[in-house]
Amino acid sequence: MRQARPYSGMFCGGVSARTGPHALPLARIKKIMKRSAGEAAAAGDGGARMISGEAPVVFSKACELFIAELTRRAWAATLEGKRRTVHREDVADAVRNTDLFDFLVDVVTTHNVDDGATD
Amino acid sequence: MGSPQHVSHVRASSSASTDVDGGGLNGAQDNLLPIANVGRIMKDVLPPQAKISKHAKETIQECATEFVGFVTGEASERCRQERRKTINGDDICHAMRNLGLDHYADAMRGYLRRYRESEEVAAALNNNSGREIQIDVRDELSIFRSNEQRQGRN
Repeated sequence: MRQARPYSGMFCGGVSARTGPHALPLARIKKIMKRSAGEAAAAGDGGARMISGEAPVVFSKACELFIAELTRRAWAATLEGKRRTVHREDVADAVRNTDLFDFLVDVVTTHNVDDGATD
Repeated sequence: MGSPQHVSHVRASSSASTDVDGGGLNGAQDNLLPIANVGRIMKDVLPPQAKISKHAKETIQECATEFVGFVTGEASERCRQERRKTINGDDICHAMRNLGLDHYADAMRGYLRRYRESEEVAAALNNNSGREIQIDVRDELSIFRSNEQRQGRN
């Protein structure tokens, strides 16, 4: 026998933000959050933060927008190089050209000398 | 601004489980956002003829992971200062604003509001209290909207 389920999707104009499917898995997001929340809490109040259920949902959407923006900016660099394949260096260019993404400078700066690898 | 400590965990974990030459394989790591999802989102915003190198995908995977960590660190600090134990959606929006990510903060505020509204509806529907549930769906009905415009309100 089927159980009645709440019509949460109906009033959200489409895919339910509550039950998903989400662009990124909530459990993984929560794991990443817990690591950062724990680090920031560090010394003092003796506790990693707890994370409300809505927080990973917000990040799932925010990361989607973030990845979209970063990808579009990287693609602009790809086009400037008259190429059709987005390379790591295009992503690095996008980060360097965007003040907002200053916090990513270390992530895109690699000690690897050779980045010719493509698949 | 935010403390630099949030940067280290992404790089450290990458190098810990990749080969010495850093062959570009983030591998099946559960401390990063899944690359399949990341790749799919990237593909959706690029034109059909575009290709994405594996390294580029991995770099964006790391960037998005760092994005989560960076904002969460700020949100967590705010909670600590206000002596609150739980990071909620508002904290994330405030953290984004504090970090200069204003358009993300604005977009997420609206998204969060709609999410909370849907949570209320779902909770009410689940509730067996027998109370009548009032749901105004007029906003959702484009037919209603266009009718209004045609006939004029009276």
